[in-house]
Amino acid sequence: MLGSSGMLLTALIVLWRKGMPAYITAYRWQSWLLVALTATIGYFGGDRALYWVAGLLLVVKGIAIPTLLREMQRRLGIQPQITPYVNTATSLLTAGLLALFAYVLARPWVMVSDLPTREGLPLAMALLFVSLFIIVSRRKAITQVIGFLMLENAIALLAAVGTYGVPLLVEIGVFLDALMGFLVMQIFVYHIHETFDTIDVEKLRRLKH
Amino acid sequence: MIHYVMIFVQTFVAVALAPALVGFIRWMKARLQGRRGAAPWQPYLELWKLLGKEAVVSHTASWLFHVSPFVVFGTSVVVASLVPLVAAPADPLIIGDLFAVVYLLLLGTFFLALAGLDTGSPFGGMGASREMTVVALTEPTVAMSIVALALSAGSTNFGQIIDRTIAEPSMALGPGHLLAFAALFIVTLAETGRLPVDNPATHLELTMIHEAMVLEYSGPYLALLEWGAALKLLVFLALAANLFIPWGIAVTLSPLALAIGLVSFIAKLAILAIAVAVLETRVAKLRLFRVPELLSASFVLALIAVMSTFLAR
Repeated sequence: MLGSSGMLLTALIVLWRKGMPAYITAYRWQSWLLVALTATIGYFGGDRALYWVAGLLLVVKGIAIPTLLREMQRRLGIQPQITPYVNTATSLLTAGLLALFAYVLARPWVMVSDLPTREGLPLAMALLFVSLFIIVSRRKAITQVIGFLMLENAIALLAAVGTYGVPLLVEIGVFLDALMGFLVMQIFVYHIHETFDTIDVEKLRRLKH
Repeated sequence: MIHYVMIFVQTFVAVALAPALVGFIRWMKARLQGRRGAAPWQPYLELWKLLGKEAVVSHTASWLFHVSPFVVFGTSVVVASLVPLVAAPADPLIIGDLFAVVYLLLLGTFFLALAGLDTGSPFGGMGASREMTVVALTEPTVAMSIVALALSAGSTNFGQIIDRTIAEPSMALGPGHLLAFAALFIVTLAETGRLPVDNPATHLELTMIHEAMVLEYSGPYLALLEWGAALKLLVFLALAANLFIPWGIAVTLSPLALAIGLVSFIAKLAILAIAVAVLETRVAKLRLFRVPELLSASFVLALIAVMSTFLAR
């Protein structure tokens, strides 16, 4: 639906724009869309626990993590523009092909399901693939972290859209896992920056620096 | 018989309104930038002035130079008669087909690019090559974003597409519709020479795309070209408005339905014009090598729109 296509659009924005502030804004919009989606499913499905899930998502993914990301960006300073492994036009086309692949893959599931949100299933899988593509094709460490966070969003979206709501306990479990992962990655990126004076992961291949 | 009269009147209204649309966008941009701006009917005065002037033609120009303004204006007028503006009766002989419209517009652009090359001026050649780059990337997106709608309507006829969307309003919020609308909007900006692809108000030749091709024209030829460009903008905005948000368009030919159709058409055009003006004030012109990135982003949006209507049924 609306929310899922919006989330996929924000992932495409990460492939299209250059520069950290754009990525952080795209991630923030994606998290807010996820919150709105979860709240809408809670409203229409009559499941009050989803409001709590939406609230938790809002506080952590919508506000806390973008603030931490901006803090990271501020500490690392303005980074020189590094061309990714795949250039912009090709990565956008690849994202389109990945979306096609996700549609073909999710087709049996869509045809079997009778939930009102079943149209969002292929979009959630497409978001998953596009996030993996972001992690694989970008060279700056922070962009890879953003790709990982979007991957986590994609899994949450898939759960919400595929099972029409997600239990609070499961969501807290998945979510704290990813939060721990993010904090560890944040520490890693700081260390990389201090040691190598760059966050280009290509430069990490050498023993000397 | 009444159908043909209505189509004729509709085309006449479109041709008459086109300069007002451009004038309105310019006035809106001026107000947003804190200036008073010329009145929205300023383009009419400019056209009147140009029609009264003498056309100065370079002596290296060929017949193409004289023919192109008529081709550009003519194709724009024909497309305006094929596109549903105020009324959309679902009669395939009256309302046009998607591919006819797209390729007629492309014919006009082709002749304009040839005319830019005709006089041998370097700016014309530069504008023509840039325009061909942009058009080569936008052409599949224009067709595909409307095909996304046509797939669910089962026909590429505009009347049937509109009928299908009116009959099933919940489809208008689906991902196919929204992504196709976003793709069509980006392509409208690219094809009609608006920011962020091309600045219509620039006076620096190195930044021009559309203006560079018409740089050699003057007098009535220039009037026809400007009018044709305004009409193209009107047609694109009307397509975006009427195909994706068709409520208000007249499906019968009663006077009340036609009046509502006219008012809703002008209202939708005004809203889209305000959106274009706000966007033009917000963004800066993209550097030329970044334009293919924007256009491939819009292509991917149209692709996903087609996929979501085709595969997720």
